[in-house]
Amino acid sequence: MLTDEDRRLFAALADVLIPSAEGMPSASEAAVPERYLDEALGYRPDLETGLREALDAAQGLAPEAAVELLNRQHIPAFEALGTLTAGAYFLNPDVRQLIGYPGQVSTPPRDDTDTYVDLLEHVMDRGQIYREASAEAGL
Amino acid sequence: MTTTSSRALPEVADVLVVGAGASGSVAVKALAEKGFSVVCLEQGDWTPPSSFAGDKPEWELVKQKQWHPNPNVRGGPSDYPVDTTESDVNPLMYSGVGGSTILYAAHWTRFLPSDFRVRSMDGIADDWPFSYEELQPYYERMDREVGVSGLADNPAYPPGASYPLPPLPIGKIGRKAAEGMDKLGWHWWPGANSIPSREYRHRPSCLRYGTCLTGCPAGAKASTDLTHWPAALEAGAHLVTGARVREITVDQRGMASGAVYTNRDGDEHRQNASVIILAGNGIGTPRLLQLSTSNLFPDGMANSSGLVGKNLMMHPYGAVVGSYEDPLDSWLGPAGQSIESMQFYETDTSRGFVRGAKWNVMPSGGPLGMRSGYGGRPVDESWGVNFHRNVKANLGRSFEWGIIAEDLPDESNCVVLDPSLTDSDGIPAPKLIYKSSENTSKLIDFHVDRAREAHEAAGAVTTSTTRLMRDCGWHLLGTARMGNDPATSVTDQWGRTHDVPNLYVIDGSVFVTSSGVNPTATIMALALRSVEHLIAKRQDQAVSSPAAL
Repeated sequence: MLTDEDRRLFAALADVLIPSAEGMPSASEAAVPERYLDEALGYRPDLETGLREALDAAQGLAPEAAVELLNRQHIPAFEALGTLTAGAYFLNPDVRQLIGYPGQVSTPPRDDTDTYVDLLEHVMDRGQIYREASAEAGL
Repeated sequence: MTTTSSRALPEVADVLVVGAGASGSVAVKALAEKGFSVVCLEQGDWTPPSSFAGDKPEWELVKQKQWHPNPNVRGGPSDYPVDTTESDVNPLMYSGVGGSTILYAAHWTRFLPSDFRVRSMDGIADDWPFSYEELQPYYERMDREVGVSGLADNPAYPPGASYPLPPLPIGKIGRKAAEGMDKLGWHWWPGANSIPSREYRHRPSCLRYGTCLTGCPAGAKASTDLTHWPAALEAGAHLVTGARVREITVDQRGMASGAVYTNRDGDEHRQNASVIILAGNGIGTPRLLQLSTSNLFPDGMANSSGLVGKNLMMHPYGAVVGSYEDPLDSWLGPAGQSIESMQFYETDTSRGFVRGAKWNVMPSGGPLGMRSGYGGRPVDESWGVNFHRNVKANLGRSFEWGIIAEDLPDESNCVVLDPSLTDSDGIPAPKLIYKSSENTSKLIDFHVDRAREAHEAAGAVTTSTTRLMRDCGWHLLGTARMGNDPATSVTDQWGRTHDVPNLYVIDGSVFVTSSGVNPTATIMALALRSVEHLIAKRQDQAVSSPAAL
């Protein structure tokens, strides 16, 4: 269970990893600390230990310095922090819309042979490329 | 323990099959349909398509843990641990009805004729005890059993029957990759996949989720829980799930007599049988043979050659990912292979190595998979402003040329019983000792360089190369090899062990060489060939007790 202080510290670290830039919201602006982090932890409870270690190691440090320290000296914790932050960020449907990602959605297949048959004719024209095993092996 | 049938298990089954995956499914179905009493022991459970996360927002989060193909990462109740401290590659597999076909990519690729004649043609390794032509009818029958989508007349293969279904769309990534290959004059072909492009035998059409490697939420992909088990159960086969086999027992004459297994409640049971077939994959099968020691077989069953567990082959996998300016919708499935290439498959000694590799184009998934923010790299390489830039540059605009490198048999690459690690039932776990060879290293170097050229010819803006992916050991092969000489092989060409005439191995353990292609089509075709021979020769089959066979 994360305390309010844990969430404030997580938000500061998460915004170093995913800042507001390039027309995209920061982790905090995308509601990661107060909403999507909990969803992500629900899917990946195994990452809570690493997150806790990251928060403990970051206590009292400036967020940028904390992230550098985690990346150098607490690699499993840093990877848990990164996976949860990015994973939670992409759970936000507004973020998915901004990056143009519809998610893995049902898309019935359409025959697209007509889009490549011209190129395939060249392959056919070049002919057989496998070795005859029976003749070469004397079978 | 769960038995699928309400009928009592036979006291002595005609045939006991250990493992309900690709090869075991084929054997059980064929035997049950011919009227044999068959019991299959499977340590895992059913995995219904509704349990997969591919159609849910959390897919990319759970694919890294709950649906990871590495059992050491997944750590599920049906999994057994594998010691990989002395292996270059991690083994990937799934325990359950359907086995690793639950999580495989469904690339449906045959061996080439030369793969059966490696010694004769390339002067290295060994020949198989039969030819491509002998296996071809079984390949074609298995194409129909699983429902393969593909395009006939591929000039990389000998002529044969058409696939039962038209090819799946190659998509924008396939077209882009093909443009590069066309400029270079290199072979490519629409990928053959065991994924139906239209409804086929009670399975729906592919819905292009692109999540094949974490299970098909549409229930379209040909996993054998869907393609084989319904018919096998209808024909009267018995399936016991949650049954982890710890030993194959022998009678006083040295014949296999049954199996001892533990259910999920920890209770020990015994199933007797006249004939026993092992189908536990290239790690599980040698592990079980090594566990089955007795006065008659102090070094494990069927191991007079000393080759049980030896010659492990796992197909080192290299990859080159290219990113493009054009949007390619590269999260779309199947995944699955969009297109393939056999341009550099056959041996050309001027390259400085023998043998080759199949290439396959695969989609690149969603945005979380794009993040390469692994610890230890500079923070701003993957985070901060570059987090957003990387997503925009790569999401939907990149795809992989994957390279399946043939690794040759080497007795020093092996499966042994770990001296201390055990599974949840206290059974010794397997340990892998596996190093990539110099030939393989040269092969991968050559192929990734060519794959980068293929991307550049197609117009890639950037490329990134992985020369050896550690989590790539899907193909577990060679650890109970077949052959005509009992001194240099574990089974004959029909999978019957030389030492124990009523004990068979029908999974990838029997492979003599690995080829450079995905092996499931060959595993299943070979299993069908072996089990049909067993059925045809049943009058001559030695058994452990007064014969039901």
